[in-house]
Amino acid sequence: MSVTEHDLTLPLSQEAAQKLKLGDFVYLTGEIFATAGLPTHDRLLKCLEGAEPLPFDMSGSALFHLGSLNEEAEDGTLSIVYMNPTTSTRFNAHMPRLIPGLGLRATGGKGGLDATCARAMAESGCVYLSFLGGGAPIITAGIRKVTGIGWPEMISHYRIARIEVERLGPLTVGIDARGNSIYDRTSKASLEKRAAILEGMRAERDSFEA
Amino acid sequence: MPITDDMIIEATGELYSRSLRKVPEDAKAALAAAMETESNETARQTLKLQLKSAEMSENKDTFVCSDSGVPVYFVKVGSKAELACDFKASIRKGYEVLVETIEPPLLKHVTNPITLERGYHGKDMPIVSYDFESGADYVEMVCSPKALGSGRWAALELFTFPTLEQIETYILDVAIKAGAQHCPPVLMGVGIGGTFDHCAGLAKKQTLRPIGEKNPDPVLAEMEARLTKAINGLGFGPMGTGGDTTVLGVHVDFSSGHGFTPVAVCFNCWINRRARVRIWGDGRMEWSE
Ligand code: SF4
Repeated sequence: MSVTEHDLTLPLSQEAAQKLKLGDFVYLTGEIFATAGLPTHDRLLKCLEGAEPLPFDMSGSALFHLGSLNEEAEDGTLSIVYMNPTTSTRFNAHMPRLIPGLGLRATGGKGGLDATCARAMAESGCVYLSFLGGGAPIITAGIRKVTGIGWPEMISHYRIARIEVERLGPLTVGIDARGNSIYDRTSKASLEKRAAILEGMRAERDSFEA
Repeated sequence: MPITDDMIIEATGELYSRSLRKVPEDAKAALAAAMETESNETARQTLKLQLKSAEMSENKDTFVCSDSGVPVYFVKVGSKAELACDFKASIRKGYEVLVETIEPPLLKHVTNPITLERGYHGKDMPIVSYDFESGADYVEMVCSPKALGSGRWAALELFTFPTLEQIETYILDVAIKAGAQHCPPVLMGVGIGGTFDHCAGLAKKQTLRPIGEKNPDPVLAEMEARLTKAINGLGFGPMGTGGDTTVLGVHVDFSSGHGFTPVAVCFNCWINRRARVRIWGDGRMEWSE
């Protein structure tokens, strides 16, 4: 047995997104957007409501929940010193509107998104990719350069960075473009197994005490 | 010769820095052992990736994770150690020097919970617990920084005269609630009994115990094995994308108490950040993990 791997170029086409299956590994080449900020997600929603223009045209793009430390060189160019995912479920309330509103083809971070987000993803044909938490050296190695910074007035990991990446990954397909979700499946399965597991523990306790 | 301020300042910074760069050997061994038993192929590859990340961060002398958390220290002062230092002030100073000089720099994670302002410093930072060690001629310091990723899933419940079954059911339910969220496979620390404040400390200290070391209390050893098997049966797997490896271990300790019994559960994510040093008055520093 082996894990199916995909080398994909961004922006992701609808067809390429549809081909990805749960548990597959993906490497990405092209441009991504990254932010780790809750205030940033609030602000993106306000943009969709017309409060201010979006910092970038993000339609068809990949927006990931990634925190990074940026360093500014003397000529003003920015580089990323290290980057790593943050918990996506913190944005459960934002993503059902942001996915169709921004027209995202891919999102991701760590820990997945809830069932409401997965439904929004099915409607938009968007996938969720899981990054390795504690994978900073691997993820940072996939960065070519920063090609833009949105909302520079915010602190480093709250800004929106537009980043050129090369073979960024491997990332694991956690929710596919039809809304099938590993997270939903495993959490439902864990609740289904709970009674049998408790029963097994009871039997082990009884035999130990006996 | 007494232990001086300079030694504490140096140890404080170095411990934090080490904890961010190096996954402890026992954690790496547990991840490698899990690869042998894991039946899910994506999960096996994820464990392999975790080991690769640990190796790369060591080779490149950089952080395993970009989230450096908040600084948390445990100090044990040996009854025969001679001190000539202002311990609290030196730890604060050591942390201050660290955030100004560490390479690569840290992100600003210390958050004021009232104003949500973020920075490197804040009230009561670093968080330090002090204890004594009878007969020891050294001071031992452990740094185990904590971030939201695994920190937010800790839980504590107060029971009255609970059965072992109620306690174990609660622990399983905390694991179900944390699910895929805390960068598994995690190390779970459990405290039972004592008082509210003491119990939380018991659980946290269990995450500092070496992984794979058998609990000397046979009842607790049995309980740890039972809980490990039960939680791994839930199926969350490495990084929560499915598999048989959700915990690397469950470590349990208890204290006597009254009829009200707190049960506390906390988690260390797979990188198991912790670094330890023993300091002697003659200037020796013995680093481990
Ligand atoms: S839970 Fe641990 S490995 Fe995961 S992002 Fe947080 S600090 Fe990093």
